[in-house]
Amino acid sequence: MKFKQESGARNQKSGVLAAAVVCAASVFGAANDTFFIRGVDVYPVTAVKMENVSVLIQDGKIAEIGAKIVAPKGIKIVEGKGLRVYPGMIDSGTTLGLSEISAERVTVDTGELGEFMPQLRALIAVNPESEHFPVVRANGITSTVTYPATGGRGGGGGGSQQIIAGQAALIHMAGWTWEDMEINRSAALTIQFPSTAGGRGNFAADFPEEFGGPQQSYADRKRAYDQAIQRLNDFFDAARQYQKERSNNAPGFKKDLKMEAMIPVLDRKVPVAVTAQRERQIRDAMAFADKQHIRIILLQPRELLKVAADLKAKNIPVILGRTEALPENEDAAYDQAESLPGLVFKSGVKFAFATFNNEFSRNLPYNAARAVAYGLPADEALKAVTINAAEIWGASDKVGSIEKGKWADLMITNGDPLETPTEIKHVYIKGVDIDLTNKQTRLYEKYRNRP
Amino acid sequence: MKHILIALLAFGAIAAGQPQPTSIAIRNAKIVTVSGPTIAKGTVVLRNGLIDAVGDNVQPPGDALVIDGEGMTVYPGLIDALSTWGIPVPAANGRGGRGATATPAPTVPAPPPARGPEDRPQTTSWVKAMERIQANDRRIESARSAGFTTAFVFPTTGIFGGQGSAVNLAGAKTEDMVLVPSLGQYISLTVRPGGGFPSALMGYIAYVRQIYLDAEHYKLEKDAYDKNPRGMKRPEYDRALEGVLESKRILLPANRWVEVERMVKFAAELKQPVILYGMREGFDKRATDYLKSTPVLVSLKWPVKSPNADPDDEETMKTMEVREKAPTAPQALKTAGVKFAFYSDGLDQPRDIQRAVKKAIDNGLSREDAVRALTLSAAEIYGLADRIGSVEKGKIANLVVTRGDIFDDRTRVEMIFVDGVKHLPAPEAAGRGGVPTENRQ
Repeated sequence: MKFKQESGARNQKSGVLAAAVVCAASVFGAANDTFFIRGVDVYPVTAVKMENVSVLIQDGKIAEIGAKIVAPKGIKIVEGKGLRVYPGMIDSGTTLGLSEISAERVTVDTGELGEFMPQLRALIAVNPESEHFPVVRANGITSTVTYPATGGRGGGGGGSQQIIAGQAALIHMAGWTWEDMEINRSAALTIQFPSTAGGRGNFAADFPEEFGGPQQSYADRKRAYDQAIQRLNDFFDAARQYQKERSNNAPGFKKDLKMEAMIPVLDRKVPVAVTAQRERQIRDAMAFADKQHIRIILLQPRELLKVAADLKAKNIPVILGRTEALPENEDAAYDQAESLPGLVFKSGVKFAFATFNNEFSRNLPYNAARAVAYGLPADEALKAVTINAAEIWGASDKVGSIEKGKWADLMITNGDPLETPTEIKHVYIKGVDIDLTNKQTRLYEKYRNRP
Repeated sequence: MKHILIALLAFGAIAAGQPQPTSIAIRNAKIVTVSGPTIAKGTVVLRNGLIDAVGDNVQPPGDALVIDGEGMTVYPGLIDALSTWGIPVPAANGRGGRGATATPAPTVPAPPPARGPEDRPQTTSWVKAMERIQANDRRIESARSAGFTTAFVFPTTGIFGGQGSAVNLAGAKTEDMVLVPSLGQYISLTVRPGGGFPSALMGYIAYVRQIYLDAEHYKLEKDAYDKNPRGMKRPEYDRALEGVLESKRILLPANRWVEVERMVKFAAELKQPVILYGMREGFDKRATDYLKSTPVLVSLKWPVKSPNADPDDEETMKTMEVREKAPTAPQALKTAGVKFAFYSDGLDQPRDIQRAVKKAIDNGLSREDAVRALTLSAAEIYGLADRIGSVEKGKIANLVVTRGDIFDDRTRVEMIFVDGVKHLPAPEAAGRGGVPTENRQ
């Protein structure tokens, strides 16, 4: 129902794509989030594959899977013969919906100013009309964790570095409004862990000191680092004090949005997604988590392998970045990025994949695939873009696998979705058949038909 | 007239710290002539600021002040082959760095950003170092105390920094110090941020190339005009090109071996005699193979790990290799037959310079070659070997007298002669300057 108008309108316009959308057209009937996939191979991810079975989708959710189920009368039927059904993939880190063109300030809505801003929710800033969503969805990616960015980039820059940027949201990649898109509005609180790096990645870093290059001494940077960690701890301590006063209904108690946002974190209901690169940073972040008794998820920890055993022992999951990446420095092994996921898997640390980049989010499956070529078992690669992510982001009851009762965030393919030649025939989000045309296909058609 | 002369003499004597005899003889000293074999025990006679005689059977003349050199060694005065000693460090680019209250006084409005080579960006090619040198710069005394008697000082700001001058490191005023007003043009290709052209290496190189094309054309025009000015529009005076035409050689930067190749080819294209400076990767065969007849200046500021680096940062193999091997460059250059000299590159503490040279010696360079690189080779590279760089009759009486080998830690500089005038090392020479060197040990 929700997408009828949009999809219909697009179908009329894009007559040239008639062949591609003929199946989609057949789905429109009564409710557009109720249908029946017949005779398809189901890859549930959480269980072994089931060949030649049928799937009943009702009101956007998976109602039944089995060989013997029969299509209810009048329901739309999708012929699945020779095709496969997979759960839609989840990109565990982007700013999709928040940032359209990173170089264009007015299209970037990722950040605020202020060192501690836990009350800010990325979810409500998501623009459902982002041109990125259709492009990414076309590759079978149906959800993403979208982060409020740190550093106040979207807030006009300047000021001190942000430590707590707000709450990351797990969203469906389709919907009329952000409310439609919500899976988990508080998937995590994001913390940019303090760092001792001075000017890393800054253009001036290449210049000698007299030309504006790094000049702060390491001792100064270390002091600033220690102080920032202290402030972070102080902030958490204040939140805990607030929580106590709140539950005791202390006289003169004043409600504070920042502190309110911290309570689910202190109660371990909401985890903290921590950006930490270096070994010391990671260890300090782990010590911080222990001290504050909170759950953490590590984002793209660069020196992950040095701390893998401890992460495993403490049950801390990590989000890995792109494997289609260059080695970190000229001495690193050529396959450093590609081999990392396989090594992390062997260490027993739980992980999911993210692209950390809106423009490359559509390549999520190929990043996972590359890890397979370098030692990660194929089924683990698939888990890392589906169920693992759902578990890490607190939505394993809603998405990430093909199981009864979960949202029908699915893709129908003619092969393994991690293989580049595989075609994605249909993508469903909350049971709605998604129009797979997007900016790229429009450009493709336009230039293909150039006289 | 006579009074003035006496007054001047008296002034000179005050400057030198003692009355000046007409002739000085140092006898019974070991003499490292550099140009010839070392004399185990001999005499050097100085007269009128020149070396009058040197040898093992030279008798001190009757009018000479005789210094007993027993246990001492006489070397030619050391030469810094590319120096900034004497040129005041601009407060703007001093230690303050970015963000410090370092903007120059706003008496002159900043020029608009350059739009192209026609605006002659970062060019002061007409400036001669001697115009900028201040005789009372503390680094002059400090360097002299370390045994340096001559420096080839260059203005080093900008792309065409200006012309170097050879100066002796003693004198009441700069004019007394000048040996040669113009040694050549200092060119830097260090990309500096800040608006205007050029802002990338390709722009820097294109700019230098354009300047030499312009200079060639300018010269043709001027010559034609000088021959027959009537009926011809006079060529517009261009001081940037004047400065370039005045310079008889260019100094180009080359630290990495690829830069060596690039700069040797570049100089050939510009048709300019060249000296390369930097030579951090002078140890690399790919660098030495390219050099052959091109002389080079090796920076004594060996690469070190930045004290601001994060101790957890892993350095690349390349960085560590260059740091490890840079001090072997002098010996590699020597083996390859490349003419080289040392330059201070910002070092001005006697002890730092001494340690830096010692490091090259520890990395294979012989003591003789180290002395040569700081004396005669430097003079030869700039075509001044007929007046400085060795202990030879007729050369300028620039000497350093030590007790012990000049680059040993325990060695004491006993006295220094500049233009035949005796100087004693500054009493606290070893520890002068901003940071007491003692504390750093």
